[in-house]
Amino acid sequence: MSLDQMLFGAYALPFMSRALVAMLALALVAGLIGVLVNLRGLEFISDGLTHAVFPGLAIGFVAGGEPGLVIGATVAAVIAAVVLTLVSRAGVASDSAIAIVLTGAFSIGVLVVSGGSDFAGQLETLLFGRLLTIDAETIPLLLTVCALALALAWGTRSRQLFRAFDPVGSEAAGVKPLATDLVLNVSIALVVVAASSTVGSLLVLAVLIVPGAVARLVTTSLLALFPIAAAFAALASWLGLSIGFGVSVGAGVDLPGGSTVVAVFVAGYALVLVGRLLVDRARGRAIRGAGAGAPQRSVADAGGVVA
Amino acid sequence: MSYFERALVAVVVIGAVSGLVGSLVVLRKRVFFAQALTHGTFPGAVAAAALGVAVPIGAAVASVVLVGVMLLVSRVRSQGAQVAAGIVLTGGFALGALLQALLPDLPIRAESFLIGSILTVTEADLLVSGGVLLVVVAAFAAFGKELLFSTFDPQGYRSAGYRGWPMETLALALVAAAVVSSLPAVGAILAIALIAAPAAAARLLMPTVGWIVLVAPLIGAASGVAGLVISREFGVAAGPAIALVACGFFLLALAARGVRRVHPRSLHVPVETAEEAIAR
Repeated sequence: MSLDQMLFGAYALPFMSRALVAMLALALVAGLIGVLVNLRGLEFISDGLTHAVFPGLAIGFVAGGEPGLVIGATVAAVIAAVVLTLVSRAGVASDSAIAIVLTGAFSIGVLVVSGGSDFAGQLETLLFGRLLTIDAETIPLLLTVCALALALAWGTRSRQLFRAFDPVGSEAAGVKPLATDLVLNVSIALVVVAASSTVGSLLVLAVLIVPGAVARLVTTSLLALFPIAAAFAALASWLGLSIGFGVSVGAGVDLPGGSTVVAVFVAGYALVLVGRLLVDRARGRAIRGAGAGAPQRSVADAGGVVA
Repeated sequence: MSYFERALVAVVVIGAVSGLVGSLVVLRKRVFFAQALTHGTFPGAVAAAALGVAVPIGAAVASVVLVGVMLLVSRVRSQGAQVAAGIVLTGGFALGALLQALLPDLPIRAESFLIGSILTVTEADLLVSGGVLLVVVAAFAAFGKELLFSTFDPQGYRSAGYRGWPMETLALALVAAAVVSSLPAVGAILAIALIAAPAAAARLLMPTVGWIVLVAPLIGAASGVAGLVISREFGVAAGPAIALVACGFFLLALAARGVRRVHPRSLHVPVETAEEAIAR
């Protein structure tokens, strides 16, 4: 198979173009919501939401069949977003509380589907998705929900940024912390719902976490973060889909589409990270010193670890 | 030993290890880190199964690599520990799924990694988790004071003339060992419940750290036994049942603390200044 056919020709096939459309929509999400997740440090909450949606999917499917999936997932996601927002504002050991909420919800989901006949298949579909077998009918739904989530985040963008950089100052200036957090968490939850029934929760988590982190490595300019994250996500999705197609068709090894795209995301991150380290080393300020004045986001005494 | 007795012994040992190490994880606020380890060891387990090596060995090798990657990423300017954990988590999971697709003839099915299969635990698994329990208890007995000092007051610990990294490394190694040994019981996705929930519950109710370290393993072992019995009585999967019981203990502790909160000693200190009032 020629490179040209792998990179461009493949998308003449309807299932490949559908996957690309879905991924490009998620790239826009990565460009806005992913960057906000990174700036606000909401990676663990995003992970929690992807797990918490599972019981909604399972109960929705048991109660209402295929159409029940999205309804159940939406209900579960909104409940989980509210609970996680309240829990993380309570402040007391919030990371343990998030872990307990997410595994508790996930366990309920597993118990519900474990009664069904194809338990393993359903679990794997939820985790790793079916990027290459998205129905034509679910594409408009995915696009609508992504647009809604983007509108929510875009409408509150200045408040979100203010709160990310100066939580106390923003509160004093009249930004309502609970409402602001709730809007962002609900928009993350909507994206998770839209994506988890199509591309799988692993891929949506990668979309929310990796491009924002790449953008932070590339630039220190706030406004540049958003287009860089979106462009990285779009490029990595395209490459990932092409590689998956090329290997599956050309070499006859059946690669799962979603996992291949995630692997390309993470490989891209590794490349950018190495590049950043080399550039920094050349400038003689490679790695921050041992914990001294470490900013809050560098977290947990990581400075002391290798010091 | 029948398979059920073996499973009972296994959950008691694994629950105790998870609770003990979980108190370190919770107090050091390393839950997302532990979560990333549980997910990231998935490719190691798949690779070990493919090579015919014991699964815990593969998971242990993977966790050493992942700890290195996370330490590197978390020290990079503008990245941090949350990003490091997120990257390792998604990357590890994708790699595990890819390995599974590339090696279709694996002797073990994917979902037993993901949600555990305690009823098929072998004598070798028992030996591994028993060994881990001994190591963890020995580490707490030998370095308990230093571990807790460095947990609660890292700056003070360094000012007192100790170096930070030996205890950090020890803590990370214990967390990795607990994650690896808890995989057979509850699997990669739910292991974090058995690690975080008992310790978080103990932390809510116990007055001192010593009590947390004593009680968390008991709650962990009790969650394991209760979950296993529930799974047998009601014919449901054991991993999620164990995880749910552990979460139930946390909810009970939360409710109990809510009742106890009316005690005057634990009332909030009133706001002193306008500045603090705004900060709230």
